[in-house]
Amino acid sequence: MSDQGNLMRSARFRAERETDWRKLEALTAKAEKQGLAGMTFAEARDLASLYRRSTNALSIARQISLDRALLRYLEALTSRAYLSVYAPQERLGGLLRRFFAQSAPQAMRRSWVYILIGFLCMALGAVAGYFLYFENASWYHVFMPPELAGGRGPDSTTGQLRSVIYDSDPDASGLGAFATYLFSHNTRVAIFVFGLGAFLCVPAILLTFYNGLLLGAFYALHVERGLGFDLAGWLSIHGVTELSAICIACGGGVQLGAAVLFPGQRSRTDALRDAGKDAVKLALVAAIMLVAAALLEGFGRQLIQDRTARLVIGWGIGGLWLAWFVFAGRKRS
Amino acid sequence: MRFWFKKRPKGERPGFDEVLPPEGVPLYFEIATFGVRFGAQLIDILITTLAALALVLLLSAMGLSAPGFMMAIASMLFFLIRIPYYVVTELLWNGQTLGKRMVKIKVIAADSGSLTAQSLVVRNLMKEAEIFLPGTLLLSLDSGSPMWSLISLAWITGVIAVPLINRRSQRLGDIIAGTFVIHLPKPMLLKDLALSSNTNREVKAKFTFLAHQLDHYGAFELQTLEDLLRADANVYNSATAMRRKETIDAVVKQIRKKIDFADKVNPSENIEFLQSFYNAQRAYLEQRQLFGDKRANKKHKDEKDTQTPD
Repeated sequence: MSDQGNLMRSARFRAERETDWRKLEALTAKAEKQGLAGMTFAEARDLASLYRRSTNALSIARQISLDRALLRYLEALTSRAYLSVYAPQERLGGLLRRFFAQSAPQAMRRSWVYILIGFLCMALGAVAGYFLYFENASWYHVFMPPELAGGRGPDSTTGQLRSVIYDSDPDASGLGAFATYLFSHNTRVAIFVFGLGAFLCVPAILLTFYNGLLLGAFYALHVERGLGFDLAGWLSIHGVTELSAICIACGGGVQLGAAVLFPGQRSRTDALRDAGKDAVKLALVAAIMLVAAALLEGFGRQLIQDRTARLVIGWGIGGLWLAWFVFAGRKRS
Repeated sequence: MRFWFKKRPKGERPGFDEVLPPEGVPLYFEIATFGVRFGAQLIDILITTLAALALVLLLSAMGLSAPGFMMAIASMLFFLIRIPYYVVTELLWNGQTLGKRMVKIKVIAADSGSLTAQSLVVRNLMKEAEIFLPGTLLLSLDSGSPMWSLISLAWITGVIAVPLINRRSQRLGDIIAGTFVIHLPKPMLLKDLALSSNTNREVKAKFTFLAHQLDHYGAFELQTLEDLLRADANVYNSATAMRRKETIDAVVKQIRKKIDFADKVNPSENIEFLQSFYNAQRAYLEQRQLFGDKRANKKHKDEKDTQTPD
């Protein structure tokens, strides 16, 4: 009489399948260590079919077996195998290409309303700051933190203001200026604006508006001294890229905040998840633009002192960004 | 907000969450606790900081840049190493950074599909806004601006509160990305209790149980007995051995009383008695279960009586 005949059903069930499970265990360990790409065809095929067999065995075991050791083992084994069978199979290069060629511009086009809100906040702030300055110049000190103004204010002479705009003796090395810039005020603002948006819209909008105020007041100061056009050149070369980046980050933040505030028929979690898909792409675009702006500021602004050239480069690059957002990633008809 | 107060579905183990793979057999994963995740995070911060420090030292040794800008370049490098580190490691190692590998936890998708690059980028970008921004704010605080310290303090409290209240202990970034973090299950196949004692025919013949004697207990008692029998192998010193012997004596006595087992059981045969009782009970319960009579614990009789009085 064979030994199998004496066993109860669940023990027999286990004895029949145990070798398969051991094999799956080894394959899973290998897949976790080397990735599916590092396995041979036969191994990958075995992994998939053994995994399906073990899910099958698990659902039977849950019905017929009361052996806790067996149940726990099968649960853990199947879970581990599931995780390695359904591991992401994407390659980094393909991901990057898809982001730049398709998903980023598509996301920008989809969420144009939010980006418009971001730009509107900034523009409204700038207009308000501009007129407030002309109403009373002391508003300038109310808005502008002293460390940001760099000594420039209503009290400085026109000569001082001009010397900052046309810096004839750049003391900063390119890389150093680049790095300092990245951690300057505006990058932090962009991160804040995006992060705050997720919590609720209002702080993101306010912060963008406040930055508009700063810009407006600063511009008004220079217009008063007849330096308006020169400042436009000084700001344009990186500012077109940089201020757009802040507005886009604000747009992303507002999108997240709007999902929390007005989820519609979905649950708030689902709404937030849906909004996050596009919002995070906006944040990435903003980050890329900030790096580009830092390069422009670190190298371009020191090298190019001519006003018209600054304007052309600044707005030209702005146009390139716009072209990317508008034309890239459209389906060919 | 609703996602903070979502009720656990009935019949699910606490601390576990169900995932339904395409194969249609639900799997239960143990949700990683806050402390473990914090530990993994610390390891990751350590690794990225060390990498950035090494690069900074290399740069300054090469003397590429003026010392005045070294601080700025250093902080830039921290950023440039940290942000891609999390996304790339989690993408290449299927949801595990080096820190997560060490403490054996893992990110998985809540919708039971595979992790997408999208969701990994989302959860790690939000980490910047959630953890590192208030963290650096807190480190760079000066007493001159109490407003900023208050804001960052409130922020950090809020950020920590979300995973503590949340059922799957998800961060805000996890919620947006649709992911959560689990303990990696560890498959370990213990030997079958029924199998090891079955080779011993003598025992089986000595203790036989009748059907009515096996009607008292349910799956819970059976599995508790299983745990007791499995604990046998690792007895270290005499004190624990004594305690264990007393426990087994008490258990045998209780079982014999409950099922009306009249035959005499020698104290030396206690383990054998329990093993053969386990076998008989398991075979009986599994058989009942096949006929649709699932007995969760010893109260199964009361439940049935209230349903169909006969």
